[in-house]
Amino acid sequence: MPNRDKARSKADVLQGTLDLMVLQTLATLGSQHGYAIAARLEQVSSGALRLNMGTLYPGLMRLEQRGLIRGSWDVTENNRKARFYAITAAGRRELEAEKAEWARMTTIMQALLQDEG
Amino acid sequence: MMPRLLAALREWIARVAAIAGRRRDDADLERELRAHLELAAEDAERRGQPAAAARRAAAVHAGGVAQAMEALRDQRSLPWFDDLARDLRYGCRMLARNPGFTAVSVISLAIGIGANCAAFSFADTLLLRPLAVPRPAELLVAGQVNPFEDSLESSYRDYVDIRDRSRSFEGLAAYAKSTAGFAASVDAPARLTIGLLVTGNFFRVVGVQPQLGRDFRPEEDQVPARDAVVILGHEFWLQQFGGDPAVLGRTVRLNGADFTVVGVAPAGFTGVDQFTRFQFYTPLMMWPRFSPDAGVALFEARDDRRLTITGRLAAGATIAQAQSELATIGADLERAHPDTNRNSRLLVRTELQNRIAQAPPVATLVAMLAALAAGVLFVACANVAGLIASRAPMRAREMAMRLAIGAGRGRLVRQLVTESLLVAIIGCALGLAVGGAAIALFRQIQIPVDLPITTVFALDRRALAFSIAVAIGSAVLVGLAPAVRAARTDLTAAMKATDAAGHGGRRQWGRRVLVGGQVAVAVVLLVMAAFVYRGFARELRGGPGFATDHLLMMSVAPKQLRYSDAQAQQFFERLAVSARGTPGIVSAALTRYMPMDGLPPSTTIVPEGFQFPRGQESAVHATSIVDEHYFDTLGVPILQGRAFRAADSIAAPRVAIVNEALANRYWSGQSAIGKRFRVDGARGPWVEIVGVARTTKYTFALENPKPFVYFPFRQRPAESMFLLARTSGEPASLAAVFRELVRALDVNLPIANVRTMEELYRMRSVVVLDVITATIGSMGVMGLTLAVVGLYGLVAYAVSRRTKEIGIRIAIGADRGSVLRMVLGQGLLLVAAGLAAGLLASLGAGPLLASTFMSGMEGTARANAAAFALVAAAVLMAAAIAAYIPARRASLVNPTEALRAE
Repeated sequence: MPNRDKARSKADVLQGTLDLMVLQTLATLGSQHGYAIAARLEQVSSGALRLNMGTLYPGLMRLEQRGLIRGSWDVTENNRKARFYAITAAGRRELEAEKAEWARMTTIMQALLQDEG
Repeated sequence: MMPRLLAALREWIARVAAIAGRRRDDADLERELRAHLELAAEDAERRGQPAAAARRAAAVHAGGVAQAMEALRDQRSLPWFDDLARDLRYGCRMLARNPGFTAVSVISLAIGIGANCAAFSFADTLLLRPLAVPRPAELLVAGQVNPFEDSLESSYRDYVDIRDRSRSFEGLAAYAKSTAGFAASVDAPARLTIGLLVTGNFFRVVGVQPQLGRDFRPEEDQVPARDAVVILGHEFWLQQFGGDPAVLGRTVRLNGADFTVVGVAPAGFTGVDQFTRFQFYTPLMMWPRFSPDAGVALFEARDDRRLTITGRLAAGATIAQAQSELATIGADLERAHPDTNRNSRLLVRTELQNRIAQAPPVATLVAMLAALAAGVLFVACANVAGLIASRAPMRAREMAMRLAIGAGRGRLVRQLVTESLLVAIIGCALGLAVGGAAIALFRQIQIPVDLPITTVFALDRRALAFSIAVAIGSAVLVGLAPAVRAARTDLTAAMKATDAAGHGGRRQWGRRVLVGGQVAVAVVLLVMAAFVYRGFARELRGGPGFATDHLLMMSVAPKQLRYSDAQAQQFFERLAVSARGTPGIVSAALTRYMPMDGLPPSTTIVPEGFQFPRGQESAVHATSIVDEHYFDTLGVPILQGRAFRAADSIAAPRVAIVNEALANRYWSGQSAIGKRFRVDGARGPWVEIVGVARTTKYTFALENPKPFVYFPFRQRPAESMFLLARTSGEPASLAAVFRELVRALDVNLPIANVRTMEELYRMRSVVVLDVITATIGSMGVMGLTLAVVGLYGLVAYAVSRRTKEIGIRIAIGADRGSVLRMVLGQGLLLVAAGLAAGLLASLGAGPLLASTFMSGMEGTARANAAAFALVAAAVLMAAAIAAYIPARRASLVNPTEALRAE
């Protein structure tokens, strides 16, 4: 049971940004399975962002529960069964809002940090 | 912000829906995780790693499936709820696996909770239920102490002074109850109703507004007998006018006078009395219409105290402030008006205090029932606690096992408390059925009046909430301590012990004390029940002191049709004469007060030559006005002197008859005949005592001897009278004839309370006593049953733990008889200790009961000893059987099997 708490706290830290990253990935690449999302994020971050399943899948489940993505079983090009996630209309709206918020936040942070420097 | 909020809401809905089963199952989740690993391995392989290494790398990279599953399960649903569901499922399995434990625990708790549910409902109906007004706790009753009924009453003049000077109340209203003949129109027959005469601010002070129409206007409470307006009670409006809103503006008749309906009180508001559902409200200034003989003097005489004052505390004011302020005002009034206000103290009481003060026996009875119910609950909880304790060694190993494999101690406590709660919930459901049965029994208590005065015993929301609270309290009580102990389990010790024999001594002691305590409480319950049963039976056997058979009664109040005193007098006389001329009627009498019919009127007397204690000049006693046939008809003997005669008329010297209790109080050791007293206060006329009547019961079968004064009907006008007739045949068959007698004299006069004395006495006394006896008796039986079950459990448990030892004893030659005696002896020793403690505690029961009911309850020392012996015998017998069964089983232990069993 203690590991449940640890997983939870790590997830909490990542939650906001992870949501944004997943939504953005699905918006650009279209429907993807969990591994592909993880691989994409790892590739984009040049290996800095390595998500384990205990973080990734609860995050996906949460987005699905919130109605921002929708998941369904399908087959990959190599004929493997996998659960594919697609962004919903609500997800796109959320993504736009989050992106704007993120941009605003980075501007503020940049201004603040440069000011200090 | 809104969309995000909605999204969060959707997440929670999904999580809650998951509890109900709308969720991806574990297999589906796991399949997805496995697919992830496969895809990762495939990817690595494609990059040129060997298959096995790729697989390993993927697994390390992606993390464990088990951890991910755990996180997914948490996200999927509500984890604490899942835990609860798991605990409940597990608890149910445990209970199902131990049906004996479950049945005894559940039934024990059901009895304990049921007894408390019933006791609460009893207390709530008679004392606790707050008035149906907003913020009832702020309403206080204020006024002078009335020495007769111990209710707070004031005169109108005093009320005005208090109202104008007090600052600690938001408002002070005053009211008086009154019965009246009500007729919906001029030619409709009148019926007897009860209403409140209220000051203009009454509805504002109590905090309700008429549901229909308007409140009284300030000017309607200024001039005596001017503004004849009336607000109808809601129930009465539905009954009488079918809920017709067009009733506003209609003219109705109260006591023969026209009143205009201006409003209807809101539903649920029944006035400021927990029992009476008032049918109408009129301005207090209309008082002279309802009490014609008093007239406007009611508003002038400072010592005419018939009003109840109720006030709502001002914001921020405390009861103590209100009390000290009223004490000051009272002292000022005493100084300013020494004639009327000497020794009159102003008090405030909360509604509850006032109810207790008005009926101390009811309060004591309620307290006694509550204590008995608490006793039953204790015995019940002790049973369950004992059972849990006897399972503790077994559970200790289970707990240790679960701790060892990593369960949190908090979770274990929760698991065990959940189990107790489960038992309590089932017990509570059954307990409500037990309570419901008791409440149905209480419902037999009905007050036989034509007026809407009711005691509503009900399994309502308050009783329900109380029962649930009791159930939860019991669960925590019996479940928490063992749970905490189990969670503190020393792992290694518990795992090592081959059986729990090592856990021994102290817990066993605790259980013995518990069982001894159960027996003691059961003994107290039984002794109480025996006392009550014997005392009540003796009182009922003794009878009320007057005849109850072949008597029919009926009340009429011609003043309700605005008869003058003389006309009313004449009416009563003609009624009695025509009754005497009716075939089937042996004799007929008139009386103002009918014994057993509510509280008698009271009068203030000053006995000649009697030295009252300091600060008291007069005494208030119960009274009735009767004619010269009364004592014969009712069968009350005159012990000294004479009964009234027709010659005791208005022209003759004023005379009275007192009962023995009054004669003994003021002229103890001498004859009361020829003695005099002043009536109606210190300046009233002298009255000479011409007879002493036997003391009877007046209001209740169990009252202490009550001083009583009778005045002759021809010397003292009465606004209403009972006609009482002794019949030669079945009295009820003459009811129609009775009504005809009145109709022949006046078609419009309302007739009330047509019933036989037998019925009245049965309803007022026999049924009430039967219900109380049944209640207390069943509590005693429940207590004993539960205690016996507890004892059986303890002995059986001890035997089961000592099977091996007993086997050895038998194997080395102990005979079975000695084993039987040993086990039986240990059980009975415990019972004897509990019995002794219980009997000792019961010594207080007699005096307590006597103070509740009457001195007769105390009984003689020999009667008490008999009751004690009876209870002791019953308890010993029941206990012997309970201990014998497991003891016999012990004596039949087969040594080879017992030794092999380990």
